[in-house]
Amino acid sequence: MRDVAVIGVGIIPFGRRDEDSLLDMLAYSSLKALDDAGLGEKGVDALYVANMGAGILQHQTAIASALADRLSLLPCSADTVENGPASGASAIKNGVLAIASGYYDTVLVAGGEKMREVVGWKATDFVATLTHPQVEYPYGITLPGMAGMLARLYMEKYGLTEEQLIAVSLKNQRMGSLNPYSHVEMMITKEGIHDHRDAIVNNPMAADPLHLYDMCPVSDGAAAVMLCALEKASQFTSNVPVVVAGFGQATDTHTLQERDDPTELKAVTLAAQQAFARAGLTPQDVDVAELHDAFTILEIVESERVGFFKTGEGGKAAERGETALGGKIPINMSGGLKARGHPVGATGVAQVVDIVFQLRHALPEGRQVKNAKVGFTLNFGGFGNNIVSFVLRRAE
Amino acid sequence: MNRMDQIVAYRCKKCGRIHYPCHDRCLDCKGRDFDRLVAEGDAKLLTYTQIFNLPWGFEVRFLIIGIVEFENKVKAMGQIHAASLEGIHAGMLLKPAWQPVRQVAGEAVYGLVLYP
Ligand SMILES: [Zn+2]
Repeated sequence: MRDVAVIGVGIIPFGRRDEDSLLDMLAYSSLKALDDAGLGEKGVDALYVANMGAGILQHQTAIASALADRLSLLPCSADTVENGPASGASAIKNGVLAIASGYYDTVLVAGGEKMREVVGWKATDFVATLTHPQVEYPYGITLPGMAGMLARLYMEKYGLTEEQLIAVSLKNQRMGSLNPYSHVEMMITKEGIHDHRDAIVNNPMAADPLHLYDMCPVSDGAAAVMLCALEKASQFTSNVPVVVAGFGQATDTHTLQERDDPTELKAVTLAAQQAFARAGLTPQDVDVAELHDAFTILEIVESERVGFFKTGEGGKAAERGETALGGKIPINMSGGLKARGHPVGATGVAQVVDIVFQLRHALPEGRQVKNAKVGFTLNFGGFGNNIVSFVLRRAE
Repeated sequence: MNRMDQIVAYRCKKCGRIHYPCHDRCLDCKGRDFDRLVAEGDAKLLTYTQIFNLPWGFEVRFLIIGIVEFENKVKAMGQIHAASLEGIHAGMLLKPAWQPVRQVAGEAVYGLVLYP
């Protein structure tokens, strides 16, 4: 198998982008990645496009074929990859396999979602279609609701507190305010969302015990990465290659009720273990991580399951600042899904883009983890039933 | 004892694992033969939430949704019909019923409803 590197990245500001279609956003981020990789006037062998909902939200299918045409990548191979909110990382994984096997040399991966053109309940309903159609969906359960049930179990079992959840929210919102591609640019304070007597107006209960500021926003956005065989990278660009040192992927039961202990999130542990084993590295080697904080509770639980903290310690670590810049393991220096936003198909790709910025040492002070060499991403699909994770390292 | 005939779980004939909903192969031993197991008795609340941003098909201000375990170990999700979360706590016993949980195109969809 050959080593695979990320040689180009592209991302556009997430948020409400009424002026752009889904294909516009995918094309803008793809052109940036092609230019960044030195392929601005060249073709690629293959294109993978991550998207969860165009068939439902835009009434458009076969997105990859449409994007290959717009970008004049014909006659490249082109596939759309749908794996719920983990579509982005799944698409990159497929690109990595295609190059590692020796079949292709250059693969463009783009992920995008346009969620704001439908009203809120439609967007909520669209994401809820990933729940079980007979024994979950009919009850009106939503992904925030699943997260609420997980948070309650965590509070009872491990003494997780509201203050610990707020620590994640404040950190990610602060980092998002420094990220030019972030959906949410506003700084928040603990007083404004918790301590003040009017805090409940700013931060109402959304999925008990989780509040509005425990949730990621509903976003439009797209991101892209250019993958290449490491041995050929220097033919295209002088960018420091970022090597995909390992990936892991694992699945779990469709329904939450069938897991022996729903707080375990077994697939998160397994996906991370696989990625580290393949990379020959450990969680202690990671300098910076992007975790899937669609809800603050997820960042805390994931930080434990992937091996950064012991079970039950993630919330306390977040409260002590160990996941902030300068802490033991900086998490979501992009602002995470919580602030960068969560256009579902784009998220897994955006996570890798942000780690590449970190490993190239390309970010300004205040966001850059000094001398970062190893990065980690975790993209959380379903409600924990399909997880894809990457270990990335700066090529020396 | 209440019998929830509408909640039919499947017990693996080989290893005894209880499945709800059904699977084509047992999640533990990959066996393909199951006995039907009707959920019975009161339902013990394992976890719950109250959600305020509802998807399509609900004309209420909020929903309280929980996961319960019946006396014969069948686990299922259901709607808890209560005015608020006051008095709701993990470990409490709820009375199950099979009632409308949602409207789709003007038709009632039935499901598990739980009463404190
Ligand atoms: Zn079995």
